[in-house]
Amino acid sequence: MSSRVLVALRVPASPERAFEAFTAEIGQWWRPNGLFQFTPRSPGVLSFEPGPEGRLVETLASGRVFEIGKVRAWEPPRRLVFGWRQASFAPGQDTEVEVTFEAVGEETRVTVQHVGWDSVPQTHVAKHGFPDAIFLRRHAEWWQVLLASFKMAAGKRDA
Amino acid sequence: MNGALDRTLAALADPHRRRVINLLREGPRPAGELARDVGLAPSAMSRHLRTLRESGLVEESHPAFDARVRVYALRPEPMIELLRWLEETERLWSAQLGALRDHLARDRPPASAPKDGEPAE
Repeated sequence: MSSRVLVALRVPASPERAFEAFTAEIGQWWRPNGLFQFTPRSPGVLSFEPGPEGRLVETLASGRVFEIGKVRAWEPPRRLVFGWRQASFAPGQDTEVEVTFEAVGEETRVTVQHVGWDSVPQTHVAKHGFPDAIFLRRHAEWWQVLLASFKMAAGKRDA
Repeated sequence: MNGALDRTLAALADPHRRRVINLLREGPRPAGELARDVGLAPSAMSRHLRTLRESGLVEESHPAFDARVRVYALRPEPMIELLRWLEETERLWSAQLGALRDHLARDRPPASAPKDGEPAE
């Protein structure tokens, strides 16, 4: 078992269109996030090299290409799985993202599951290999109390 | 690495041990008190406490006045750090999926306000 983040959202498109936008147009909608820089020189532009042998890469301003992860499943319009590595991960450290596209009436529910943070080393926090977000949520009340008391003890939470 | 995770999950899988964790939320307690409050024999409690200690969920100390007494306390850092990381990751994907939705919504402008030029920033 590994840590898991699960996020779902409905988008106004068919699964076919949603899959296409997720992959072929990722460079147009992806918003760079300082906390999740792929490389120290990021952000660049994300793109998928399509197909079952493809990969997700970030092209930096210098023209250098960083491989975020290889495609592990390419099943349009239903499912997409790819690896996810940030340059700061140790060799062999890896996480995986699974995206599924489900028709809901005229729309599509896009679900992202990001698993495997446990394999990220101590400096990346998961050393203690805690249970996944679902488990945490089930115990949300006391985790929140704990978090609140920790924040108080720690004074200010860093941005 | 996964060994640590397995130990943690195993530690939390037992209802007595979860009860201990909940009690420790209120503050550190001696082993004897924990045994009494959870309703276990001291020997059974010390096995559970050892499992919790090995998982890193709790730590043991001795009060200055009596080295025979073992006091247990919760170690929140690993939970907090992971929780924070999970929250950040969740926030990242929520934001990205929101951006994907907005991107797709541009394909299908609402009927009330049809536009076909470049969307203004």
